[in-house]
Formats: sequence, structure tokens, C-alpha cells
Amino acid sequence: MPQVPSARAEFIAGLRAFAPMSMSIIPFGMVCGAAASGAGMTPAQALAMSWMIFAGSAQIAATQLFASGAPLLVILATATIINLRFLMYGASLAQHFGALDRRRQALIAYLLTDQAYALTIVRSARDAPRKFLHCFYFGLGTATWLCWQSASMVGILLGSLVPANWSLDFIVPLTFIAMLVPLLTDRATVLAALAGGAASVLLVLPLKLNMIAAALIGVAVGLLAEKPPSRP
Amino acid sequence: MSGDDALFVWSMIVGIGVATFLIRFVPIALLARLELPGWLKRSLRFVPTAVMAAIIAPPLFFVGGTPTIEPELPRLAAATLAAWVAWRSRSTLLTVVLGMLALWGLQSLLG
Repeated sequence: MPQVPSARAEFIAGLRAFAPMSMSIIPFGMVCGAAASGAGMTPAQALAMSWMIFAGSAQIAATQLFASGAPLLVILATATIINLRFLMYGASLAQHFGALDRRRQALIAYLLTDQAYALTIVRSARDAPRKFLHCFYFGLGTATWLCWQSASMVGILLGSLVPANWSLDFIVPLTFIAMLVPLLTDRATVLAALAGGAASVLLVLPLKLNMIAAALIGVAVGLLAEKPPSRP
Repeated sequence: MSGDDALFVWSMIVGIGVATFLIRFVPIALLARLELPGWLKRSLRFVPTAVMAAIIAPPLFFVGGTPTIEPELPRLAAATLAAWVAWRSRSTLLTVVLGMLALWGLQSLLG
């Protein structure tokens, strides 16, 4: 059967494109859910967090800051800085989705994740029908959302049952290691990561500002390292 | 959870939720023709890298929340192994499973 370009076919292609991503979304979602209930949030709060924010790194950081007693403003600022990367994704997606109506744009915005962005850009570079790119995106986003919410729910329900001496909190750094390593593609990103990690451990700042400071220091080091060496 | 705590948590969830939505929505809705300035684009490339490293590092050095330069040896060793697994396999699942097994093994050896 020939592949007829249609909204439906593109939606299904988006669902399919998600499949390999599930192997990273499932453990990450469970970790976020378990961390939230472990930090003392009620199941309703943990669930609301995952529905309203739908951004794992910011959720983990906010959860950790909440558990350590950081002020509200510091938590909000930290989560905002972590999510600033979506500005970059949004600006890049705007060339494809800028002409859609506001309701669809709002849905696209809500479903925006690292994975959805990366796969959609790959798709747009191929000769797939551009007219239906948003259908591909919606398929991908729907699959991501369902998988994330189910995994979070499992984490919320099971997280509180696991005894602390199993050290399952170690899954948080492990999932982030798995996400970070593929990003280390050049000297500048490696140095940015080293600087961010070192700063988060060595800096003792009031009000739990360490995460923000570590992020800014990491970015600064990355920018400096990126400059081509100025040799005569 | 006391009433104050509940208010704190809900403010946090709604606050981050609204901020995150705006960060995602505004460029898609308004930037159809505009470009982000070059310096901002270049900076944003390093945000995930720096943030993820800052989330990874503290639990390898302080477990109970007490700051110390003394690293938690089993955790540091297991994390190093996990980084190698992640680099070779590119698999989150394998990284998490082998990392946990390494931690449990080292904890029972050194514990």
C-alpha cells in the first residue's frame, strides 16, 4: 500500500517515532514520581506536578530544593533557568508552527520536550510532507505524555513503599548520567558539565542558590571554551 | 502536611507550571519571524549540560544532605561505571540497572 501523505498517517508516524524513547522516559518518569512522594508531597500534589509542569529536570530540581527547605522564589527561579532551553526549541519550531492557530500552538507548547523537539527537527529535515508536521508532532507528543504520566503514577505509588536502605534515590543521578553523556559531544560541553558539577558540590551558598549558580557557571565555562583558540 | 506546607507546594507547582508554559508558548507564538540573538542561542546550548551535571554531582558527595568534600566512594565508583555504560550503550535502562547493581555490590563489599 503506498504511503498517502495524510494527517492520520503522520500522527501514527509520530506515535511510532516515540517507541525507542520510551526506554528513557519510563525510568525517568518513575524517578520523578517517586522523588516527589519521597519528598513528602501527597499523591495528588505529585500527580498535579507531573501534569502541570511536564518537564522532568525542573520537577526533580524543584523536588530536591523543596525537600531541602529552599525558599519558594529560589525554587521558581531554578526551575525557570532549567527550562530556559525551551526558548531555543520554541524559537526553532516557530518556523514550522508559527502559522497555526493559537489553540494548536498552546497544545504544542504544553507538549514540548527535549525528545519531541529533537525528533520533530529530524523529521522536518527529511522529505516528509511538511504540511502535516504538526500531526507528526502531536502523535509524538501524545505518546510521550501518556508514557510519562503512567510512569510518574507508578513512581508515585511505588516510591513510598521502597525501604530507604535500598538506595533507590541513586536512580536519579543514574538517569541523568544516561541523559548527559550523549550531550558531551565536544570539549566545550565536557568543560561546561565539569564546571557545573564541581560548582554544585563546592559552592556553599545561602538560600540553596547552588543550582542556579552552578548552571550559570557551567554555561559561562562552556561559552569561554567554545571560542576558537586565538593563535597567531 | 500542615496547611502552610500545602500552600507552599501548590504555589510551587502552579508557579513553575505557569512559568514553564510561558517559556514554551511565547517563542512558538511570537517568534515566527524573529530569531533569538546569537549569544543567547549559544548560551542555551550549555544549559542542559550544566544543569544535569549539577543534579548528578551532589548525591555522589553528600548523602545525608551534609556538605562534605569526602566523596561517597561506592556512589562515585558506581556513577563512573554508569557513565562508561552510558557512553558505550547509549541506553538509559542499561545505565540505571548496571549502576544500581554496582552500587549494591560495592556497598556490601565496603559496607
